[in-house]
Amino acid sequence: MTQGYHPLVKRLLDGELSLAELPSELRAEGAEALRLVGAADRSPVTLSSALDERVMGTVRRHAASPGQRAWRWLNTPRNIELRLRVRPWTVWAGALAAAAALALLVGRPAPEPVPGAQARGGTRDSVLVRFVLYAPGARRVAVAGTFNQWDRAAAPLMPAGTSGVWTTTLALPVGQHQYAFVVDGARWVVDPGAPAVDDGFGRRNSVVAVTTQGAHL
Amino acid sequence: MGVLLGLEAEATDAEVVRAVLAGDVERYAVLVRRYRDRYARYASRMLGSRDVAEDAVQDALVRAFDRLADCREPDKFAGWLFLILRNRCFAERRGRQRMERSLDSTDEMFAAPDRPDGAYEQVERAQALERALQHLTPEQREVFVLKHTEGLAYEEIAGVTGATVASLKMRMHRAYDRLRELMKEHL
Repeated sequence: MTQGYHPLVKRLLDGELSLAELPSELRAEGAEALRLVGAADRSPVTLSSALDERVMGTVRRHAASPGQRAWRWLNTPRNIELRLRVRPWTVWAGALAAAAALALLVGRPAPEPVPGAQARGGTRDSVLVRFVLYAPGARRVAVAGTFNQWDRAAAPLMPAGTSGVWTTTLALPVGQHQYAFVVDGARWVVDPGAPAVDDGFGRRNSVVAVTTQGAHL
Repeated sequence: MGVLLGLEAEATDAEVVRAVLAGDVERYAVLVRRYRDRYARYASRMLGSRDVAEDAVQDALVRAFDRLADCREPDKFAGWLFLILRNRCFAERRGRQRMERSLDSTDEMFAAPDRPDGAYEQVERAQALERALQHLTPEQREVFVLKHTEGLAYEEIAGVTGATVASLKMRMHRAYDRLRELMKEHL
């Protein structure tokens, strides 16, 4: 059984000491250790030129599969330009109608929020999903996910008073979405009220499935 | 064609990722060309074979494409791809260890003939180190490869692996002792 290296020799290998800084009785051991790490092969490795075409061939097949196309379509954010041709009086009428609707809503007691993602109305192709996180002491909270290309700034949550509860409501397209909360711009937090899956890279993402009947956790 | 290559060289990873997500699948070739060899040495040293490393890099690039919508920070595509490749290398090692357990490989394979030729000794030592690395745990091997082959500092290794500097040093120091034992005939 060979004895392990002296701690000072290990510091030599780590680059924290030079051979000359070792006590004289350790220099032979140090020189031997340097021969060991000096044997590491640092020459570059070049892979076969055929690799590019193999990867792109597979990628093209995957991109063409209906499942992949549907998933990408659901997950890819798009810029939508809406052009309207209106008469000016209709703008004022619309604004008055919106103000009246808002006046009806204000004053209604808000339901007590619970952590997690909850669904409400929405359009035929999207559903309003309410995201709630209890994060006392947080300075800012946002939700990022496949629906906003994991943009940490796209969907901030608002604090509900000083209770430590943060909420926001987003219109999500029908489909399955992965997401996580971002606390103070840096800390990723899974939704404690939703199931989570491994993202394959050592982190966890929460999952919400949105259907025309609502959101399902 | 020259103009196209110029545009490819200038496009950031984030721009290419967004173009691919928007449906321009062929732009993914830019990322393939950009990263195919960058991590090849890491994979090769981790897996002990250039051919197996090539399979691992290919799988990682395909998997990255399949999950591109999950890439939270497209401007950090390189680090994200590295994590995919790293997981692939660890999984490959675990699978092979299960297969090799019954082969009962021993340290005799490192015994070297006693030759006076210095250059030959160096080549032998390098080959013996390659074989000895395969007898470390994947975590020990990784920290050795990243520090002594890729030339990263402990702080940089901590950044790409998520481990603390203290735990990385502990792994490395155990690796030094184990390698000394495995390489005793060559030092």
